Amino acid sequence: MSVSPIVPIEAQPVIERSRLGQDFPSTLKCWLREPLLHFLVLGLVVFAVYGYMHRGRGGVESSRQIALTLDDLRTMESYFESQWHRPPTPEEFNAMVEDKVREEVLYREALAMGLDKDDTIVKRRMAQKMQFLAEDVAAAHEPSTAELKAWFDKNSSKFALPSRYSFRHLYFSPDRRGKNAQEDAAKALVRIAGQPEDSKLVASLADQFMFQDYYGDRAPEALAKEFGPQFVVALEKLQPGSWQGPIESGYGWHLVFVDTVIPGRIPAFEEMEPDVKTAWLGEQKAQAWHKAYADMRAKYSVFLPAPPDKQSASAPTPPPKKQIPAPSGEGPL
Amino acid sequence: MVKRVWCAVLVLVLAVVVQTGCTSKQKTAEKTADSAGNGAPQSAEARPPRNPLRNAYFGDLHLHTSYSMDAFAFSTRTTPEDSCKYAMGETVEYMGKPVKRIAPLDFLAVTDHAEYLGVVRETINPNGPFANTEWYKMMTSTDPKVSGEAFKKLIGSTVVNKPLPEFTDPKLAQSAWEQYAAVADKYYKPGKFTSFVGFEWTSAPQNQNLHRCVIFANKGPAMPFSSFDSQDPEKLWEYLEWQRKQGLEVIAVPHNANVSNGLMFDTKDLSGKPLTREYAERRMANEPLAEIIQGKGQSDTSAALSPNDEFANFEMFTYLIGTNIKAKSATGSYLRQAYGVGQALQQKLGVNPFKYGVEAGTDFHSGVSSTEPSNYVGSHGNQDSDPRAVVTATESVSGEPPTAIGSGGLTGVWAEENTREAIFSAFKRKETFGTSGVRLKVRVFASWKYPRGLTKNPDWVKTAYADGVPMGGDLSAPSGKGGPTFLLHAVKDPDSGNLDRIQIIKVTTRKGKSQEKIFDAVWSGDRKPDPRTGKVPPVSNTVDVKTATYTNNIGSVELLGEWTDPEFDPSANVTYYARVLEIPTPRWSTYWAAKLNMPPNPAVPAFEQQRAWTSPIWYTPTNGAR
Repeated sequence: MSVSPIVPIEAQPVIERSRLGQDFPSTLKCWLREPLLHFLVLGLVVFAVYGYMHRGRGGVESSRQIALTLDDLRTMESYFESQWHRPPTPEEFNAMVEDKVREEVLYREALAMGLDKDDTIVKRRMAQKMQFLAEDVAAAHEPSTAELKAWFDKNSSKFALPSRYSFRHLYFSPDRRGKNAQEDAAKALVRIAGQPEDSKLVASLADQFMFQDYYGDRAPEALAKEFGPQFVVALEKLQPGSWQGPIESGYGWHLVFVDTVIPGRIPAFEEMEPDVKTAWLGEQKAQAWHKAYADMRAKYSVFLPAPPDKQSASAPTPPPKKQIPAPSGEGPL
Repeated sequence: MVKRVWCAVLVLVLAVVVQTGCTSKQKTAEKTADSAGNGAPQSAEARPPRNPLRNAYFGDLHLHTSYSMDAFAFSTRTTPEDSCKYAMGETVEYMGKPVKRIAPLDFLAVTDHAEYLGVVRETINPNGPFANTEWYKMMTSTDPKVSGEAFKKLIGSTVVNKPLPEFTDPKLAQSAWEQYAAVADKYYKPGKFTSFVGFEWTSAPQNQNLHRCVIFANKGPAMPFSSFDSQDPEKLWEYLEWQRKQGLEVIAVPHNANVSNGLMFDTKDLSGKPLTREYAERRMANEPLAEIIQGKGQSDTSAALSPNDEFANFEMFTYLIGTNIKAKSATGSYLRQAYGVGQALQQKLGVNPFKYGVEAGTDFHSGVSSTEPSNYVGSHGNQDSDPRAVVTATESVSGEPPTAIGSGGLTGVWAEENTREAIFSAFKRKETFGTSGVRLKVRVFASWKYPRGLTKNPDWVKTAYADGVPMGGDLSAPSGKGGPTFLLHAVKDPDSGNLDRIQIIKVTTRKGKSQEKIFDAVWSGDRKPDPRTGKVPPVSNTVDVKTATYTNNIGSVELLGEWTDPEFDPSANVTYYARVLEIPTPRWSTYWAAKLNMPPNPAVPAFEQQRAWTSPIWYTPTNGAR
């Protein structure tokens, strides 16, 4: 069999489109709103889909023609490149094309012999495709902002943000003070009561801390990583606006002046829109599939043999069939 | 029938067209709103500010999930998504139990084996491509012998490096890879959590380990490179170089040199030819870092190679992976020795082929980076999921018993912020360190001109960067007399033991001959170095083995100090790196034993000193000085 590459038919429309876009933007918009155009496009799509579905099955010519598109060839070439890090030689390229052709030839011959019937793999692959199809319908629907917002309002707890803390702290180091670190901190607290958080006296009473003296706007999780979990448990109980403590971290003892606590909250929709869209889409796909399957499943009756019991083992009669109902919700069995 | 299909297609097409129509209208409306100034969306959580003096971040750069054929064989069912969630501090399910880290990690690279990546788990999928094949029947067999045989056949094919065609189908491989690589992008949250696309190239000629983890800076490649493509690291470098030409920045990280039987840091290439200058340059351009520790042991040094290092005997793993063959050769299998060999080769070739910075990972085949000894959940699926068996077994039919596996390793980096760009830049400039799994922070700087007492200045880090080099850097030509000064700083893991000491390990090479020497540089308490040996006496021990507890009333929270090399020879090549030791704490196996109220497994120590190693700072004499 000889293979002749097909001239790329999509080259022409690409140019057309860009020219239209530049020269007649408003005209284009008008066209896009035109119902007649929608109808024509739809007709074309239907025609194309029909043609696609019936390729290789319809007339004599189509069943004996194998057409590879430029895209097919490009995909083959780029796959080769990703494996071998160079473009294929002409011989290798021809061999790939011939492989592809062989697959197609054997596929069509197998179809003609009816080998697709009663093959579990084919069956399962097609069943899987049904799921993809149902999910794709959900994915193809671009949600409006209003739609997303309404969904977000119902599911906002999924997007809850943690509290955030801003605080200054004084460090009492067990390396320098040994067992007295906690007591020294408690004594220092008495001296600095009522002092502003950044006064000189305050700083002079404590030890130098190895990281930061001030932490702004930190979530509990980030603070637990830095100070150890027990520090955060204690911090969450402190009142903002004055020196408090001492509380213990993985490094020693601290007096803490919490400036502000931004309580955990449900964010506004606008802050989270991209995340909301991702979550929404995931749910749509799952729902679309569940619904599509439930509808299909409802059309079928399933019969299973009743579980064999001791009596039936002695009796040769076949067990009575028992109908099982369609499952109420959750997807495939 | 045909009619019904027609209807379905028509409905689908209609739905698509109608919805697309809606979208374009909606988008226009949004744009108008924006330009009318209806407020740009605010970011929900403020990103922490960049720190030009850099923060320490911790992550695992070596982890396997059920996408790895062997992990799957061990009944591990976690996915790369589970790995990201666990690293971020969420609860995930592992071997039927909920597991959660005490302290989340900052970054992660899942590095599943490239060989059959993601394909083997499809064998048990009743809707998958293997449905109704012999493989499906064998893998889902309720007879463990049958499924065991199937796995043996699969794993065997990777050991002898002969792929089974049904598992290398390009379409299957590609679809699994794309799914896998997308997860790293999905979980990347700049400022909060960084996930890298990675895989492991699993080459081990005659079971001698040459494995490399491959880690991409940003987007992943079209396909990974497996040992089926080639077992030669030079071919892997070719792949990496090609990826760079496509605009993808990437590094490879060799690991488990300790079980390479001398192959990892050999002075010959895989074909047996002596190393060349070109080889050395290429190796360093592709592999800035080496993994110094992971579950299957450390690759710093062995007691045989470093007889004067009383801390060398730590987390040793000597069986060739998956076999009961002990590695014959320590030579060529450990980094410390390779630093000397590399310097000798540099004197000959002009380039050092082993100028490695260090990192660490777990290499766990569980999908979860469980590096906290008190919170360790096992690392190899059903191989070590039964605590009673793990606590008692002192040998195994293939290789080490599961108790010999350590609680892994973590990579520490000094980076301006927690983003792919900042962390990957740290890999490239080797401002990295490896720990035995704890989040112990350590930094080292060196220079000829640091004034005495600089570390007493609260701003010392700023001067340290301005007037010297951090770990991973090269000392300039010496100025004045005397050796270089090192600034050393270590801070304990807030959830682990206090610190014992910081040491400087110095590997000197003169005229092709190398020697190592260890200096205690900064230590806790008022211990006095032995006047004869110069060694600081061991720190005491608070571990109660029976209850698996310890107290932090010895050791230091923080060690900060300066060290000047007293024996500097400007004509020799030198590699300097720091090692930080914690006070003794219970090993994970002791926590497990205590929970069962059993004695700890005698095959491993009951307690040990967790530690960190920094990337080196190098000194290279000028031609005149030599």
